[in-house]
Amino acid sequence: MGQIEWAMWANEQALAAGLILLTGGVVGVAGQFRGWEFAAYAVAAGVFVCLLEYPRSKRAKGTSVARSGQYCFTVCVKAFGPLTRNYYVRAFLHAAICVPGGFMLATVLGCVCLGIASLIYLAAAIRGEHWEPILPQKDTRKPVAQSIKNPPQNPPPRPPAELRRKPAKDLESAAYDNPMSVTDE
Amino acid sequence: MSRQAEMSLRVKCGGMKSGNGLRADRSGVTGDGADTGRSAGRHTEGGRAAGRTALLALGRTEALLESSGSCGAPEGTMVVSVRSWVANEGGKHLVLMLWLGGNTWLFMNTFLLYSTGQQYHYLYKMLGLGLCISRASASVLNLNCSLVLLPMCRSLLTFVRGTHAVSSRKTRRLLDKSKTFHVACGVAICVFSVVHVSAHLVNVVNFSVSYSDDFPALNLARYRGEDPKMIILIPGITGVLLVLILFLMFTSSSYCIRVSNYEIFWYTHNLFIIFYIILMVHMVGGALKYQTNIEAHPPGCLRANQSSTEQQGEDLEQREDEEGRCREDAHFQPHYPQTWLWVSGPLCLYCVERFYRYIRSSDPVTIVTVVRHPCDVIELRMLKKNFKARPGQYIVLNCPGVSSFENHPFTLTTIECVFTCFIVTNCLLFNSSQCPTENKETFGIHLRVVGDWTGGFKHTHSLGLLLYFCPRCIFRLYVDGPFGSPSEEVFNYDVSLCVAGGIGVTPFACVLHALLDGWTGFRLQRLYFVWVCRELQSFYWFAELLCALHHKLWQENRPDYFNLKLYISQTDGLQSMSEEKYRPLSSRLLVGRPKWKLLLDEIGKSNKHKRVGVFCCGPKGISRTLHRLCNSARSSGTTFEFNKESFC
Repeated sequence: MGQIEWAMWANEQALAAGLILLTGGVVGVAGQFRGWEFAAYAVAAGVFVCLLEYPRSKRAKGTSVARSGQYCFTVCVKAFGPLTRNYYVRAFLHAAICVPGGFMLATVLGCVCLGIASLIYLAAAIRGEHWEPILPQKDTRKPVAQSIKNPPQNPPPRPPAELRRKPAKDLESAAYDNPMSVTDE
Repeated sequence: MSRQAEMSLRVKCGGMKSGNGLRADRSGVTGDGADTGRSAGRHTEGGRAAGRTALLALGRTEALLESSGSCGAPEGTMVVSVRSWVANEGGKHLVLMLWLGGNTWLFMNTFLLYSTGQQYHYLYKMLGLGLCISRASASVLNLNCSLVLLPMCRSLLTFVRGTHAVSSRKTRRLLDKSKTFHVACGVAICVFSVVHVSAHLVNVVNFSVSYSDDFPALNLARYRGEDPKMIILIPGITGVLLVLILFLMFTSSSYCIRVSNYEIFWYTHNLFIIFYIILMVHMVGGALKYQTNIEAHPPGCLRANQSSTEQQGEDLEQREDEEGRCREDAHFQPHYPQTWLWVSGPLCLYCVERFYRYIRSSDPVTIVTVVRHPCDVIELRMLKKNFKARPGQYIVLNCPGVSSFENHPFTLTTIECVFTCFIVTNCLLFNSSQCPTENKETFGIHLRVVGDWTGGFKHTHSLGLLLYFCPRCIFRLYVDGPFGSPSEEVFNYDVSLCVAGGIGVTPFACVLHALLDGWTGFRLQRLYFVWVCRELQSFYWFAELLCALHHKLWQENRPDYFNLKLYISQTDGLQSMSEEKYRPLSSRLLVGRPKWKLLLDEIGKSNKHKRVGVFCCGPKGISRTLHRLCNSARSSGTTFEFNKESFC
């Protein structure tokens, strides 16, 4: 089974469960069903769960793909420190949130889904995973190589000036070959 | 104008030595025609100088635009052309429109049936809109649950792809998008499940609140105001189970989970069989009933009876007529479950396909050779009875020694046909016709050691070599496939461009092998091959193959058939291939990322008004840029058709 990160799956499930709870709550409130107070609670609980679960955690191994626009949520969730870092807290929190949803038909599904997500979070917590924020990394420029800092102090060695000057008599060797035709045609 | 500017810019730098501005100007425009050059020569000296500076400036801006266009793609440089877009995206979007149209028609049809149908009149009065919405979404769900299985019958699709007589190239291109269609149907199932469940919640409450005293048979509740949770029967419990399974399947199929933990996705998705079994019993119980005796009891006649008794002494004839029409009480009957009609066909097809694949892959393969290549790549050559594959196809490997349940796809890089004759000495005694021959295909894959499974594979194999006395115990390998992929179409275009990124060269390696065996038999007239790697060492995986193909084509006097370009994206360090035998590669090696727009422009100019097949297997960045470029306008009239490998 390799290295499965349960927390990642639990995060997707909890987000989906929050949306299901929210939808069920909206239907319950809009239809003014009996026990619509539970539906109103489900709406609030669904929104809270969605906000908590939206920022993805950084993976222990491999590249993490952040959800679009999750930076501000990451900052908010990070502010709670160990409460949100620890997955035991999350597991019990989700278990507690889902219970009142079971009292009304419209929110039963959200309750069960959130319960499953809470179980997976418990499994993740037992394996020792925890939530890490994905923060944008500052670009560290590669340090300039040492040799560039010291330009050469001396000119390159050249033969003496007499040898460098081309003899004026020898026109053949002094002629320069043009790469392109310079005649007018 | 822009080309003139570029050429004059280049010539200006080169022509500094000759020092004559008139020449530079003239030679800059000879590419387009001598007339413009002659007319430019008549200008005054001042005008020429000004013109040159202007051209220089234009050339610089043009160069800037081109270089930024290749990586950042500002909107101004790539205009989507209708013709290119239709050639690339037209088929897909047509299928999408048909599917959406089918769903919409089904939804509206069922909605109208339940809201205006005579047999549902009383039910509609009790439940209202919730009835129509729930039944309409149920029919859409039936359609999508049956369609969602069809794109996953991979062996069937491979067979359809292989039969050229059956399908045209356009249809085969549509098969590339089978996974996308599966995802679209899946998303539709989720969305309409939400609608269906919400509508039924409202129905359940209405069953309780609008308990009908006139027609007791129609009710689901036992008394008025019964708690909705108690009204749940078989459809309710099966519905909850279905939504739970759908929830598990949906949450584990996001891109992130598939990329990081494929096993979670695979195991939860295989719960589909339970989903379908429960789906087929979902309607048992008959919560919704329709009226069977419409002629004898036209809907609404009870009310007419009651109102007519109130009106005393008016229209006696009318009263008699109405009483006559309403002869008997309304009879109601629940619907028979219809889902099995929709779903059983595709489900049987898919189960047969899975069974066939299981049987086919139960033969273990024999490993013939293992070669270690630089940059952590292992080449594996295997042998299997009755294995037939085409270039570009892929297989799925399962190695119980590493992990019993993991299956990983790998593209085939070599396919060779080997005829072996068993027991030659016995054949000499008997007739040669009795000599048993076996048609065996050796096939090879290149796998890159990147994750847990490939790492374990490498480790297991080294152990297998050491424990020579029992290598077969540890190292059994099962192969499922081969399955079709878009790269099979390389041979069916006149001109093809193959772009590979790193290990993504594997589908094209098989194509190159096939060309090496015999390039004359295909429709393909020209192949452009672009391979972008991070390190120089990666090119050694297929250096011999590339050189061999290059030499062969030059020997047979077709040097323009195979156009190779190699790029190293890491620009630090001195990089060149020093071996003499790899001369064709080292002279075509370029440092830095390729400029795709310039590349496509160049190909377009050499192949005007042709259809070029672009095949990309590599990182998302490259394929996205190429896709956008293929959709954009082209002055040379060439159409670029984009085909992408889906799992690279």
